[in-house]
Amino acid sequence: MQIGTSQFYATGASQLGKLSAQADTLNTQIATGKKITAPSQDVVAYNRLSAIKQANADNTAYASNISLAKSLLQQSDTTLTAVTSQLQRAAELTTQAANGTLNDANRKAIATELQSIRDDLVNLAGTTDARGQPLFAAATGKGAVTQAADGTVTFDGTGEVPAIPVGDGTDVRATDSAQRVFGGISDGKGGTTDIFAVLSTYISALNAGGTATASAASGTAATAIQSALNQVSDVQGSVGARAARLDIVSSQATDAAGAREVDRTALEDTDISTAIVDLQKTMTILQATQASFTKLGQLSLFDYLK
Amino acid sequence: MSDLLGIGASGVRAYQTALTTVSENISNASTPGYAKRTTDLREIAPANSLTANNATTTGQGVSVAGVTRAADSLRAADVRNASADLARSETGIAWLDRIETALTGNQLGDRLTGFFNAAKAVAADPTSTTPRSALLEQASAVANSFTATGKALNNLDADVDATADNAVATLNTLGASLAKVNEGLGRVTPGSNGAAQLADQRDAILDQISAISDITVTTDSVGRATVKLGNAGGPTFVEANQAASVTFARGTDGTVSFALHTQQAVSTVTPNGGALAGVIDGAARIADARTKLNTIATAFTDGVNAVQAQGNDLDGKSGAALFTVGTTPTDISLSLTDPRGVAAAGAGKGVRDNSNLANLDTLRTSGAFEANTTALISSNASTLANRKQVADAQSAIRDNAVAARDAVSGVNLDSEAVDLLRFQQAYQASSRVIQVARDTLQSILDIH
Repeated sequence: MQIGTSQFYATGASQLGKLSAQADTLNTQIATGKKITAPSQDVVAYNRLSAIKQANADNTAYASNISLAKSLLQQSDTTLTAVTSQLQRAAELTTQAANGTLNDANRKAIATELQSIRDDLVNLAGTTDARGQPLFAAATGKGAVTQAADGTVTFDGTGEVPAIPVGDGTDVRATDSAQRVFGGISDGKGGTTDIFAVLSTYISALNAGGTATASAASGTAATAIQSALNQVSDVQGSVGARAARLDIVSSQATDAAGAREVDRTALEDTDISTAIVDLQKTMTILQATQASFTKLGQLSLFDYLK
Repeated sequence: MSDLLGIGASGVRAYQTALTTVSENISNASTPGYAKRTTDLREIAPANSLTANNATTTGQGVSVAGVTRAADSLRAADVRNASADLARSETGIAWLDRIETALTGNQLGDRLTGFFNAAKAVAADPTSTTPRSALLEQASAVANSFTATGKALNNLDADVDATADNAVATLNTLGASLAKVNEGLGRVTPGSNGAAQLADQRDAILDQISAISDITVTTDSVGRATVKLGNAGGPTFVEANQAASVTFARGTDGTVSFALHTQQAVSTVTPNGGALAGVIDGAARIADARTKLNTIATAFTDGVNAVQAQGNDLDGKSGAALFTVGTTPTDISLSLTDPRGVAAAGAGKGVRDNSNLANLDTLRTSGAFEANTTALISSNASTLANRKQVADAQSAIRDNAVAARDAVSGVNLDSEAVDLLRFQQAYQASSRVIQVARDTLQSILDIH
């Protein structure tokens, strides 16, 4: 078969062009570090990369929720520890006040200290959290507790705040309502009362004077404070359990993110060493093609026609 | 002896022509569409050589019978068919590539993910306006992304129209040129250099036409081409010195079509190759992408607005619509500007509630907007990848067809050099014959 001169040059140009394009592609892959720059280059990889990208974005959103929930639970834990120590002091004071050797003045002094404990508890109940929200807020209502002019404390709103989403189908309730921490104590008559009412009644009884009254009131108060302590301890236990659960969720998310990153790298990133070897190979072939093209191009019978 | 002079002179004339043809071949070695020419040399037979029973009668020298074009009509048809197939794929690829850019350029999938994740941050802190504002920003980004993607597809439509108009205009110009070439071929002497030139032009025009549409070509005895668009049953585009004109139209429903107008009638053209077929493929792909995008956009805006309506905003009021849809489903704008208006809470469940955002998450799963967006891009991308493979194969087929054609009709400078040498020597030898004739005659004249 005879090769037309123009065909020889056209073929040469096309071969050199293809090799240059191949070298350019490899160069881009090395420079950007990415194998895939358009979905059509690898549709299957693109699909998986999209899913990975979405999962990573979800993970970032969940991670910030987890960190917020952790900080709220940490704050709850600290506040509940403070509540516990106040209640323990109150329990000690009930034992002191029950002592028959005390006079009314001694009992009044105890009542004063109990009053300050009660004030502290009201303050602790109104603690604000990292978001500037009442830490012990219920689902509805403005704050956590409201203290009236006469000193009576009422719980704002009802219900528990909804849980925060921390993973696909996983959510954690980061805070508890004041009702759950401070209320729900048996009043010994089949009903329930709260720690603020218990302390108010007890303080009034101590201030009223009389050893017999004080002794009876101390007994009732001691039982109620003990059940309040148990309740706070339960809540604190639950807070700790939820924080532990967040740690598990968080570490699972980190593991999954690591696995996704391995997948992503394999799918998307340029294998630098292979790419450089390929580039070297392409360059060698390109140079050889250039050399052979030049040599063949120089071959002309006209050179020998003298 | 005068015969010898005549024979020598005929040789000089013939080889001069032959040398001219070789020079023409050499100078046109890289002219596109030029087919190698050869000079046909014939012996001039002696008059009455058969009847005048004369053993000593010799020939009368050589003459140029004509110029032959080294062309193979079957191989040329192969090149045209392969070019039409390749042009269709390449045009289709160009549009699929642009659809890919239009669909991925505005990162619709990422924006949707961002929107749903912003809702997760609101769920963690429903009473604060900061995450709510962030959610509205993300909602605005999604709306912009839908709008921009829709617009990018609309721009492609405009580009398709412009490309089709250009292709049709070029096709009509080529048709008119071919009609003129046909007219010329009808007048020129067959076997002349002029005929070869016109045939070269004819084949070059046919090659260009086949890049625009697939054609069926028949040639008559003098080489005039009759071109039918499509297969042999297609409408006649060029016949003798008459060329029809092709028009492009986009219907109200967005479908594109081509028609062929002659003085007598209008017929529909259904190209199966060339740029015109690529335009039809591209337009269909763009329409398909738009339909799918619109479906996603409508499901998304309706779904999100429905979730909003189910819940209560920060002021305890029923949620207002988040998105407003304009004339097209992707023409989306944000109608909610107050971050307090995001209906995070379930109806009547209080300001700290976030249960309505769980409905948004359910919508994300059931609507699968992100997955559908990825699927839309993937379906286009896999078609594009397939077409590229097909185009690679077609490119190789075309290259082979061109090589096969050029093996017959291409100019090879080395063989021209050989011919140049051969004819030069023949020319010199013929001159020598004249000299010998003169010397011989002179020797008789010199007898005193």
